[in-house]
Amino acid sequence: MSDDTFGSIAHRASLRSGDRVRVVASIVAALLFLFPVFWMVLTSFKLQKDIFTSPPTFIFTPTLENYVSYLQRSTIPHQMLNTVVVAFASGIISIVAGTMAGYALARLRIRGAGFLGVLILMSRGVPPIALAVPMFLVGRAFGLIDSHIILILAYCTFLIPYVMWLMRGFFKALPKELEESAMLDGCNRFGAFFKIIVPISVPGLLSTLIFCVILAWEELLFAIVLTNRVASTVPVAIVNIAGDTVNGANWGALTAVGTMTVIPVVVFALLVQKWLIQGLADGATKG
Amino acid sequence: MSSLKAAPVRTWHSRTERLTDFVSRWAFMSPAGLILLAMLAYPILYTFEISFSELDLSTFTATEWVGWDNYAEVLHDTRFWASLKVTGVYLLLSLPLQIVLGFGIAYLVNVEWAGRGVIRALFLIPMVVAPVVAGGVWRMMLDPLYGITNYVLGFVGLGPYDWLGDPWLAMLTVVIIDTWRWTPFVVLIGTAAIMALPRDIFEAAELDGANWWAKLWSITIPLLLPMIAATFIVRWLGAVKMFDIALAATNGGPGASTQVINLFIYEEAFRSLKFAESAAMAVIVLVGTMVLTAIFLRGSRMLEEMH
Repeated sequence: MSDDTFGSIAHRASLRSGDRVRVVASIVAALLFLFPVFWMVLTSFKLQKDIFTSPPTFIFTPTLENYVSYLQRSTIPHQMLNTVVVAFASGIISIVAGTMAGYALARLRIRGAGFLGVLILMSRGVPPIALAVPMFLVGRAFGLIDSHIILILAYCTFLIPYVMWLMRGFFKALPKELEESAMLDGCNRFGAFFKIIVPISVPGLLSTLIFCVILAWEELLFAIVLTNRVASTVPVAIVNIAGDTVNGANWGALTAVGTMTVIPVVVFALLVQKWLIQGLADGATKG
Repeated sequence: MSSLKAAPVRTWHSRTERLTDFVSRWAFMSPAGLILLAMLAYPILYTFEISFSELDLSTFTATEWVGWDNYAEVLHDTRFWASLKVTGVYLLLSLPLQIVLGFGIAYLVNVEWAGRGVIRALFLIPMVVAPVVAGGVWRMMLDPLYGITNYVLGFVGLGPYDWLGDPWLAMLTVVIIDTWRWTPFVVLIGTAAIMALPRDIFEAAELDGANWWAKLWSITIPLLLPMIAATFIVRWLGAVKMFDIALAATNGGPGASTQVINLFIYEEAFRSLKFAESAAMAVIVLVGTMVLTAIFLRGSRMLEEMH
């Protein structure tokens, strides 16, 4: 360092200290944003008498009471299962349908592809409540209310456009020679798509699927409108616990159920974080 | 799969070949097309129909055509206007806050050091907390008696505040929860955008002796503007649909002070069973959202062309 000219030393030193401030500030920001999650997990291991204290307790004997008792005497396990079924089914259907459509928009020169693209974008502006009312009325006529299938299809309305748009951008970036050589080798369009394009897109498809599952996992409006007991999901249960004005809020149950819903998606999200972040950025710019 | 068969594939002799080609193109579109027609296009059209009809509650079907009656009724309903105002206040407070905070934190995060990846990953966590969980947990933390927020604020001599009891504080509560839930999303987009900026411009500026402030104001922010605009539009499209956080945290209260439009339409439709009026409101919101989105998109295009 001492060999450098004086000006450059001063400049570098100030840059470094500026960077240090940014590092510390970013750590503080991250911890602040994580605190509610930490507090939720912590509270879920408290007994009722440790939850309702003023000032709040930080040191206590941890217990699984909230998990065990609430799981035993409630519909949560059933609703968890519903959530898993609906989230994965709608995610998988949307990935298959959305990927094929995204490929068609990117590569197959369909007449009106540009117009379809605009329609997909506009569908993002449709308020779900404008769909929920007619879905409820029609679903009621067909006896589909409170079934998994109507919820799965309802989730496809926002998942498919999302997948189409993301995968359209993804396929546009692939070199055209890939399918051309496959088709010269005698594959038809489907062969080229399923044997060549899909296998090389697996990482992107998987992360998009995970993103779809997360979006379906936490959806509330359609779930609350279209289901009541049989096909009801965890977000509905959480609203009911949080808004229970008769018995007062059961914070132990709320945080235990909250922790159980959050942990799987956090694990998923961290597993595919690279793709997830890229997907978010692409979804913003290309959307 | 011998390459000998290659020659005939690209020729368009017969009509059947052309037909097969057409069918195979549209076969790719059809699964998505069918689902979206049935579950997206048809419900929207049906909403329009209901909004001009009277709804028979014994059969739950639209019966008589009543023209603009439902719209007239809705437009004379002060609660409708009140909830639009609530939505507007919520959007005006939370969107700029999230964009500024998100890109600000992204700038802080984007220092090259060993822990940068970990910090970024940490911001993923609040982003995948279901909005209902966020609403419920924050409601607990903001509890005037046992909540930790008032306890912490007490150390700096603030409060205690009745977060969920006062109309303005309740609105602030919804904004805080929404901002907590969605700022990390903006942070992640922001860090990706900042990392994609061309490095040579910064190096050139550094050689010219520009300090960090000059670099931030005259290079980073102008270059990021298109991305900031795009993020704003994505967040706008999400925020205008907000329903879950308000329902879980405040249930629209106290009174109707945090009853955003989606919550109001939901209550009117499924608690008061006023489906026709709700459909009219949904159509108004739909058209309004489309118009504003088109304006924002045009604005962001113009911004993109300027740079």
